Amino acid sequence: MQGVDSCKIVIEGLSKRFDDVLAVENIDLTITAGDFVSIVGPSGCGKSTLLYMLGGFISPTAGRLLADGKTIVKPGIDRGIVFQDYALFPWLTVEQNIAYGLQMKKSSRDEIKETVARYISVIGLGGFEKRYPRELSGGMRQRVALARTFAYGPDILLLDEPFGALDSQTREIMQDELLRLWRTTNKTIVMVTHDVGEAVYLSTKVCVMSKRPGRIIETYTIALQHTESREAVVLSPQYTDVRNKVWLSVRRQVLAAAG
Amino acid sequence: MSKGLQETLFGAAARLTPILICLALWQAVTSLHVADPEFLPSVGAVLEAFYDLAKEKTIFVELGVSLLTAGAGLVSGILIGVPLGAVMALSKGADGFFGPLIKATYSLPKSALIPLFVLWFGVGGITNVLATVLTTLLPIVIYTYHGVQGVPRSFVWSAQAMGTPPATLLRRIILPAALPAILTGVRIALGFAFIVTIAAEMIVSNHGIGKLMFLYGDSGAYNYMFAAVITIVVTAFVADWLLQLATAHVLRWQDTVEQHA
Repeated sequence: MQGVDSCKIVIEGLSKRFDDVLAVENIDLTITAGDFVSIVGPSGCGKSTLLYMLGGFISPTAGRLLADGKTIVKPGIDRGIVFQDYALFPWLTVEQNIAYGLQMKKSSRDEIKETVARYISVIGLGGFEKRYPRELSGGMRQRVALARTFAYGPDILLLDEPFGALDSQTREIMQDELLRLWRTTNKTIVMVTHDVGEAVYLSTKVCVMSKRPGRIIETYTIALQHTESREAVVLSPQYTDVRNKVWLSVRRQVLAAAG
Repeated sequence: MSKGLQETLFGAAARLTPILICLALWQAVTSLHVADPEFLPSVGAVLEAFYDLAKEKTIFVELGVSLLTAGAGLVSGILIGVPLGAVMALSKGADGFFGPLIKATYSLPKSALIPLFVLWFGVGGITNVLATVLTTLLPIVIYTYHGVQGVPRSFVWSAQAMGTPPATLLRRIILPAALPAILTGVRIALGFAFIVTIAAEMIVSNHGIGKLMFLYGDSGAYNYMFAAVITIVVTAFVADWLLQLATAHVLRWQDTVEQHA
């Protein structure tokens, strides 16, 4: 059923070498428009390297990456990124941070004002518009970082362990907020994470990477019914089953990496 | 009296106390004739001399010359040093070219160049400003360099992903992110600017507080010399304090220990 047009991201024979270290090796991956793909694997397996190549921040040693059929050579506004440390600009207020991407797009003043106000209300930070990032909690900073990236409208979102710095309760709340944002905007998301449960809960597809040099060794397609509550999903046999499989798969790589 | 005001007054008193103790000691030493009053004039004699100089406006004219020299040196140092430091941090080529020059001149006492500058540019004016620029340039270049190098990769990548072109990246991301470091360099440069300005005026010049200090010292009018010294000390202190106030305002977004304390 999937035509070539629906292939949002195509990765072919991708390898990356840093001096004498082979970080990722011969990766092939096709991501359909609207998919939520998570990449899990042991520490240092090259997951983030893969994400940074998709961002166009670093270039591959071999192979190629396509977004919407065009080769990725540098960062572009079709691909937004959210980092674990949020990378909010500390000298800008909450609303200035969210407005930044729109200003770079040269959106009109009214449009910027309207979009910023809408996202402030979506992330529930009304009243914090003029605050600086240092005045916000970790969860609030994460919300601003997501809003900043959604606001200027990239089709593809690259998430680099976006919830890694949050406590587990806040993390669950943020996961559901991300799900809601994803379903209402129909973005294509590629997320790197350590958290197998998070990957299975959020994604339509989970890729397990091997220990370094990172290769994609297994891919799981997931069809959870998110119309139900978080409790119902997490307690369902369907979720537990996939999560256990993915966890075992990652576990084997972690043990192999440890020698 | 509100608690805030009380704290402010208490803080000011706490800061002034050490200075007052020094003044009291100074007065005691002179009153008790521990030191020869010829060489250590009393606080009163210095104040009288200051009043004298202020009445004739001499001190203000000369202070103006010194301030202008130090200010011109500092501003030029910033205007040259910030772009130079930033370019060196961002381009290997520029670093390779300017790096050795900066390192070679780092430990060189800039006042040693003043006799040469006098030969080329004459007495006072440009010579003194030039010596000041050379001195302020180094801390500003070095702090800017490290500030720009220390900008987190995730800031630059996030900005690039949002479509920031290179010139805008420098202006809107790299320089603001490096600003805390740059302003530390500027604060050090401010102190250097006063030191070299006064030194240059003392070595060879027709104007400035340094010149006054030299003249009165040479002729043994130590109460007048002290008045000139204290004038420049107070001026430099106020300039540094104003710079700190401005810095605190500009960097109000910063996540520092002080703000949490």
